[in-house]
Amino acid sequence: MTVALVAPDRASAELQETPIFRDDVSNGKLPKVEQRVPEDPAVAELETIGIPGGELRMLIGGPKDTRMMVVYGYARLVGYTPSLELVPDILKLIEVEANRIFTLHLRKGHKWSDGQPFTAEDFRYWFEDVAQNKHLSPLGLPISMLPQGKGPGFEVLSETAVRYSWTRPNPLFLPDLAGPSPLYIYRPSHYLKQFHEKYADKAALDVLVKQATQRNWAAFHNKLDAMYRNDNPDLPSLEPWILKTRPPSDRFIFEKNPYYYRIDKEGNQLPYLDRVILSIADSKIIPAKTGAGESDLQARYLRFDNYTFLKAGEERNHYRVRLWRTGPGSQLALYPNLNVNDEIWRGLVRDLRFRRALSLAVDRHEINQVIYFGLAIEGQNTLLPQSPLYEPRYRSAWARSDANEANRLLDLIGLVKGSDGIRQLPDGRPLEIIVENSGESTEQSDVLELIRDSWRRIGIKLFAKPSQLTLFRRRVFSGETLMSIDKGIENGLATAAMPPWEFAPTTQQQLEWPKWGQYYETKGAAGEPPGLPSAIRLKELYEEWLAAVSEEEHTRIWRDMLQIWADEVFSIGTVAGVLQPVVVNAKLRNVPEQGIYNWDPGAYFGIYKPDGFWIDLSEASEKSASAVTQPTKPR
Amino acid sequence: MLSYLVHRILIMIPTLIAISIVIFTIINLPPGDYFSTYIAELQGSGEAADLAKINFLKAQYGFDRPLWEQYLFWVGGLLHGDMGYSFAYNLPVNQVVGDRLLMTFIVSFTTILFTYVVAFPIGVYSATHQYSWADHVLTLLGFLGLATPSFLLALVLLYLANVYFGISIGGLMDPKYVDQPWSFGKALSVAAHLWIPVVVIGTAGTASMIRRLRANLLDELQKQYVVTARAKGLHPLKLLFKYPLRMALNPFISDIGSLLPHVISGAAIVSVVMSLPTTGPMLLDALRSQDMYLAGSFLMFMAFLTVIGVFISDLALAVLDPRIRLQAGRRL
Repeated sequence: MTVALVAPDRASAELQETPIFRDDVSNGKLPKVEQRVPEDPAVAELETIGIPGGELRMLIGGPKDTRMMVVYGYARLVGYTPSLELVPDILKLIEVEANRIFTLHLRKGHKWSDGQPFTAEDFRYWFEDVAQNKHLSPLGLPISMLPQGKGPGFEVLSETAVRYSWTRPNPLFLPDLAGPSPLYIYRPSHYLKQFHEKYADKAALDVLVKQATQRNWAAFHNKLDAMYRNDNPDLPSLEPWILKTRPPSDRFIFEKNPYYYRIDKEGNQLPYLDRVILSIADSKIIPAKTGAGESDLQARYLRFDNYTFLKAGEERNHYRVRLWRTGPGSQLALYPNLNVNDEIWRGLVRDLRFRRALSLAVDRHEINQVIYFGLAIEGQNTLLPQSPLYEPRYRSAWARSDANEANRLLDLIGLVKGSDGIRQLPDGRPLEIIVENSGESTEQSDVLELIRDSWRRIGIKLFAKPSQLTLFRRRVFSGETLMSIDKGIENGLATAAMPPWEFAPTTQQQLEWPKWGQYYETKGAAGEPPGLPSAIRLKELYEEWLAAVSEEEHTRIWRDMLQIWADEVFSIGTVAGVLQPVVVNAKLRNVPEQGIYNWDPGAYFGIYKPDGFWIDLSEASEKSASAVTQPTKPR
Repeated sequence: MLSYLVHRILIMIPTLIAISIVIFTIINLPPGDYFSTYIAELQGSGEAADLAKINFLKAQYGFDRPLWEQYLFWVGGLLHGDMGYSFAYNLPVNQVVGDRLLMTFIVSFTTILFTYVVAFPIGVYSATHQYSWADHVLTLLGFLGLATPSFLLALVLLYLANVYFGISIGGLMDPKYVDQPWSFGKALSVAAHLWIPVVVIGTAGTASMIRRLRANLLDELQKQYVVTARAKGLHPLKLLFKYPLRMALNPFISDIGSLLPHVISGAAIVSVVMSLPTTGPMLLDALRSQDMYLAGSFLMFMAFLTVIGVFISDLALAVLDPRIRLQAGRRL
């Protein structure tokens, strides 16, 4: 079976020269636009055709946030559309044979931001000289290129075509290429070869390494090779905006890439915006600065409880606040630690009836009304309604508020109430659950406060224990923590083609079964093998998914896993789809009114392709912008 | 006097070694290191960290070596003027710090100047006019300044400045000047922004200085030599400046010692609230994320300045006040 994903055809309109490049073109500093864009550029589907020019100001919390421009820019070999379809983006075409053989076709005449051609050589350089060089990548190829531990065969078919062929299906490959922090399988080889042992002159390279106070050439190469970190202004890029400021700085300027591969239907080269400026501010002061009109597009570091403050500044500072949905399966979820050290507790949290009782006793409606103004979606920690795999029963399973049923289940287990109304463990200790959290936000304490009251009704005492992020995870991993509260599953919007790893014990980071996850992650070297039949089944299903080829199979496996996940209540969800305020300058166009603000899939603004955003300076814009947006009620 | 100087300089060396050990130990006390904090942070925001790459980095920077070896490596670097490498910035520490020092100097010197200019006249006035209504009003204001948490004052002033004067919130200049070379416009913009942090950081210091000057001066004003001078018909102003005020100054000279590091570190909390491009927030971040060379080297630099500052203030005191000089000489 071969699937070919083809990018849409090019527009018929003539290419237009971009205003800010006109001078450079006429005095010969830059080639004409016809020579800058690929022969068959990608054509953007835009709501409105824009006018090139202008700049966009955004706020970031620290110098490391320059990577966000790679996330927002979202130039990927293949990428998600807003409807979460996977389509070629930088690639002209990709052919997939049985999820094993991937043939990638580049756009002819595509160039890096310094004008050098982007070709199959850039793929070869990464595969042979970076990923398999033991100094640069001591651990070899990335995990998502090693299904069952085996790497692919790699061939260069022509200047613009490469092929990766595995012996087994590798369904992780494409989703990883489309990720917000993507798998980069190419590098600007013409630039990096200057710093590679194999290509560079040894003496000259040693001098450079020394000047940069790096330990050896490999560390130096890795420092310069910052495709994702995005802190090297000399590194050629394919992104819409290129870093121009050399760190350290408190303000980073990104300028339009003159060789960008996308155009609009009228032949204007994208991106429309000439510059994007990121200024550093302390993350706690960012809401205040945004409210003072100092950002033209801001969502990072804004939280739902800033909404009223931001709304108050709309008129004075000429921006609009939009509310987008967030993507996690639950804003906050409780994770009973199935690997807790205490034997009696471990037996209890592994008892299905106990987990169900805890879930039934949570009053999600109350949490929604009290903390989220009733705007969130109540239910378990599972997929969101926007996902094609969603079924209402996954979300509603054991999620109604029913203290009687919860009491009945606890009685069945044999947890009797003491004189103070608190149930007792078999060894006579009171049933007191300490819920630990990372202490990052007051939101967690607020939610726990409400849950504490409702658990009291079934004879369980809850204590909240805020800690510190690193410490918190360490305690969960080692089994000292009985229960924790944290964000729910990351990808609530999953499609069948995305890996269901969050629903099976696959990594130590999973707070409900860290040791089982570690066992899988380390291939049995550390941790413990899963100790519950349902968890073993989930792991098997995940492995089946990895080996499956067709979409039907993938869908079936996903549904099986979701059903087990819903029945077993491995984590206790609260509410999901909490709204994210997105502040948009009143003159900024093509930013959707309603969207999803999510890391993966989504890349935050990435799937809405900010290269198509533009600033409308005409008089009429003032009027249309004053239409105030209203928050929408959930279904 | 010379042997006193040599003695003082020699004693600085063990002091600094002890400080370096304490700094290194404390930074390494919390569990984990920069990379584990970084992984946790990434996972908190949903990003997956590349564990393989991080283990590689750890080995590269010697995190797998025993602590004493790491310590020696760090101190050895310091002796060569190499302050190590900042993981958060991916740059040598010298470069990270260098950029912010100038701004910190500007803010701190202006603050000190502000403190002196405001506190001196007020302090002298309220001492010479003790219990007048003006003294009461100024005392009240002084105590208010002392009691108001400076970060709160910062927030209120920032908001008002933004709403009424349209000054951007936080920072030391209009965003458009941040990465430009110095120009008249930039200097003006800095001046327009500077007054808020200066007032905020300076208020508490000003208030306490007024109180101290007033108390010291009141002590002196009661003394016999003042009464004698007054009885002999010396002009009151000349009398005041020539004798009691000079005597009241000693505590301020000995303050220089703590002033020097203060000028470099800035007021961390206020700087964080106002997102000033000074060294305070950088140090705080480095400590939080366990960016150990950045934090350690910077603290070491401050410790060095404190030691130097105390030395200078001791010398200045000896020069200004013959009584101290004599005592010092006798002790040795």
